[in-house]
Amino acid sequence: MQAHNFKVKWGMVIDLDKCTGCGACSVACRAENNLPPEVDAGNKLRTADWMNIYELSNGKPFPEHEVAYLPRPCMQCGKPSCSTVCPVVATTKDEEGGIVSQVYPRCIGCRYCMAACPYHARYFNWFDPIWPEGMEKTLTPYVSARPRGVVEKCTFCHHRFNAAKEQARINGEDPTALPEDAYIPACAEICPTGAIKFGDLNNAEHEVSKIAASDNAFRLLAKLGTDPQVYYYSKREWVRKLGDNYLKNAKGEDHV
Amino acid sequence: MGLDRRSFISLVAGGVVGSLCTPVIWKTLDDVSIWSQNWPWIPRLNYGEEKKLATLCKLGGDAYGIKVKTVAGNPVTAEGNPDHPLSLGGICPLGAASVQMLYSPARIKNPKIKDGNNFKDISWDDAEALLAEKLKEAGAATAMISGDETGSTAEILSGLVGKLGSQKSFFMPAESAPAAAAVQMLGGDGQVGYDLENAGYVLLLGADALGSWANVARNAKAFAASRDKAVRYVYVGPAQNGTTAVADAWIPCAAGTEPLLALGLAHIIASGRTSYAPGFADFERYVQAYQPETVAAATGVPAERIMNLAKELINAGRPLVLTASESGHGLGAYEAAAGMCLNMLLGQMNAPGGVRILPWAPKVVESAAEKKDLLANDLVAYLTAVADGQEDAPKVLLVHSANPAYALPNLNKVQSALDKAEFLVSFSTFMDETAVMADLILPDSYALERLDDSYSPYGAPQAIYTVAAPVTKPIYDTRAAGDVLLSVAAKADAELGFESFEAVISAKAEALEAEIDSLMEGTPWVSEEFPTQDLAFWSSPLKEIAVPAGAEKSVSLSVVTHLKIGSAAIATPPFGTNAIRFDEMKGKEMYVQLNAATASSLGVKKDDRIKLANAAGECVALVKIFEGVMSGTVVASLGFGHTAWDDFSRGKGDNIYKLLQAEAEPGTGVSRFGSAQVTISKA
Repeated sequence: MQAHNFKVKWGMVIDLDKCTGCGACSVACRAENNLPPEVDAGNKLRTADWMNIYELSNGKPFPEHEVAYLPRPCMQCGKPSCSTVCPVVATTKDEEGGIVSQVYPRCIGCRYCMAACPYHARYFNWFDPIWPEGMEKTLTPYVSARPRGVVEKCTFCHHRFNAAKEQARINGEDPTALPEDAYIPACAEICPTGAIKFGDLNNAEHEVSKIAASDNAFRLLAKLGTDPQVYYYSKREWVRKLGDNYLKNAKGEDHV
Repeated sequence: MGLDRRSFISLVAGGVVGSLCTPVIWKTLDDVSIWSQNWPWIPRLNYGEEKKLATLCKLGGDAYGIKVKTVAGNPVTAEGNPDHPLSLGGICPLGAASVQMLYSPARIKNPKIKDGNNFKDISWDDAEALLAEKLKEAGAATAMISGDETGSTAEILSGLVGKLGSQKSFFMPAESAPAAAAVQMLGGDGQVGYDLENAGYVLLLGADALGSWANVARNAKAFAASRDKAVRYVYVGPAQNGTTAVADAWIPCAAGTEPLLALGLAHIIASGRTSYAPGFADFERYVQAYQPETVAAATGVPAERIMNLAKELINAGRPLVLTASESGHGLGAYEAAAGMCLNMLLGQMNAPGGVRILPWAPKVVESAAEKKDLLANDLVAYLTAVADGQEDAPKVLLVHSANPAYALPNLNKVQSALDKAEFLVSFSTFMDETAVMADLILPDSYALERLDDSYSPYGAPQAIYTVAAPVTKPIYDTRAAGDVLLSVAAKADAELGFESFEAVISAKAEALEAEIDSLMEGTPWVSEEFPTQDLAFWSSPLKEIAVPAGAEKSVSLSVVTHLKIGSAAIATPPFGTNAIRFDEMKGKEMYVQLNAATASSLGVKKDDRIKLANAAGECVALVKIFEGVMSGTVVASLGFGHTAWDDFSRGKGDNIYKLLQAEAEPGTGVSRFGSAQVTISKA
């Protein structure tokens, strides 16, 4: 598939040297995007968590062991594997800004996209969502509640993008040239250590584009060529190496 | 006229082509795709005016400012408050999940009175009259427990108890009490804070500063700012956690022995140094006992590493040492003092970038106990004595913002003491383990529904007074505990001198010379004044800190707190369950962490179901092999194993408090329970 070239490319850089794995981003994402609370969250094959946090290990025994935490939103790939397999055009990458869309009413729940996504960033609603009595009043007005049978994923809080563009129009500014802090997803906004940075990767003035260009920046499974718009940053080599899960006995040291 | 084959085909083909040209099919398809997902049981969204209102989050051990977004008056999400010095825009996982707690299935919707093994509803008037009568009868045999050290509600409670002639006012155990006791040992007087923002080097002795210790949101902001300033963060403790994942170094140190390391460091730093600080000579002689080799043997930190750490501290500008128990409570007073002395030795007491001693909160309810006396009152010791019959059981026990039936060591004894209390009154917002045991429940309105205040939580670097106006009206028949207590006090002929909780807050603002109007609007009052202190090295008699002795075949239990799982006061919130990772909980069973060497020496492997046991009790958990744990140590998280609350937390995992046994610290008598020894066997 020919990838689009966007003038603005929203991207995220997550500084793993600042992430403590506390879980606040994951909780805030849930509230912002109207994911229902889950009683049986102990079965991760049936849960949905747009911002999932993984624990990374350098694989060495005590006392050489090191630990890091990796929050995983949707990578908003430049060449998304999900949208190419969707039979009903429910997930596309065609809007200026480069966010991979997810149109719930179009989704037929075939889950091809879930099989295609190498990041496990997509979730299927196995059940109808249930909010305990009254708790549905805490639904935000931004994202419709999804019924069972529909796939969903992180959208970089796309509604906040719309709101920022709207605000720019009201202010008589150019909605296609939003300043750095005009649009920021919920997770990035509340992160206590400021590990999650957000901005336009194509704009040299935005901090994310500078960090993304660093030698310490990397992307998950870069060798697959999906061209993710989520970058990670770590000064620790072992963390960067985990970004590509090449096999221990694989031939050759280098990866793409 | 017959229909021939040709015209039939034309008709069908024409019909197909014609219908494709109409929008009917496409509209129908579109409608089907929408309506097949538009079931009545899928909730609709509410639209309306959006606002952001400043309030307080007190769900963890900390109290800090957050902002709650409301849509058409309904609170929907919470975020950090960039204008509050203890949030600076950051929020903890409990804060992020706080709005939905408003509708938690565990909420108590109206006053209740015990009826056999169940509860029956009672009106507020009857409930207040009943409590007033019971209080009059009980008089001085009344006691109170509060889990909120920062708010005025606890002061009103203590005032009521005091007015009735009782000294039995208690806070739930936390880090603040040992820290205040430590400062007192050094001759200081005040609440303890830490100027993390201006520290040049941070040594965390067991303090999980970025996970659960003190002002987590603000600690995280200070840490983030330190990354551009080359400030080193070194964590010392038995296991890796969220803090070590980002700290510059982790120094493995046996559970509960961090204060010994502090004294070992103090020995190295003190020797060869001349100081005219009062008491220095005595102190230097005292720490002679803590030679690097001795400390190395007890803590597991190699002597060379201790020497290097001491060098780093000496060479760093503005080093700050934070001593804590990994679990967030149970540190002894001498243990806290060991770390405090290290700060003193480094010239960091009452100094920028060091320990700050803040003025105590002004007391406005006359009959209330002084905060420092309240902190010194030992709840665990009291309840244990009640259970053992050494102390009379209270006739009325008032419990506010606390869950002692779940979150205390010596849990069996605590529960039997609560049972012995003749009339147990719970002011809980939620049906927690203590409320279930209560004779009368007067449900406090939830944080977002009531007026509340907070004076500098433990660790705050300056005096801060925050007032939170209600974000929404109470959704159930609940009332703010402060107002209920004032009204009950009046009915019990124990007038406290205030008509309403708002009047108490106004009086407090006046005492601080703060503007009540701007406080009500959410602007905190901040003071940079620090009373002068006359400090001396450890002016009370020096006591040796004993090395915890492990029994044969036992392993050290390191107890940790993860806010996403809950706190001493709050069970896992509905929006917190998903943040618990697959390697922290499987189905309804929780994991504990062991390294591979320890696991193999115990004959257990990954995912085995094991029993952790000691004299206090036993717990069941699954094995997670995690190499970030010292050998001979098992790491377990608090916050699981609830028996009350709701489906989001009830029956999930096991309650590690069952394994904690308090012992009186020699010399001070403070209940110590930061760590424990357990035996591990397959379950």
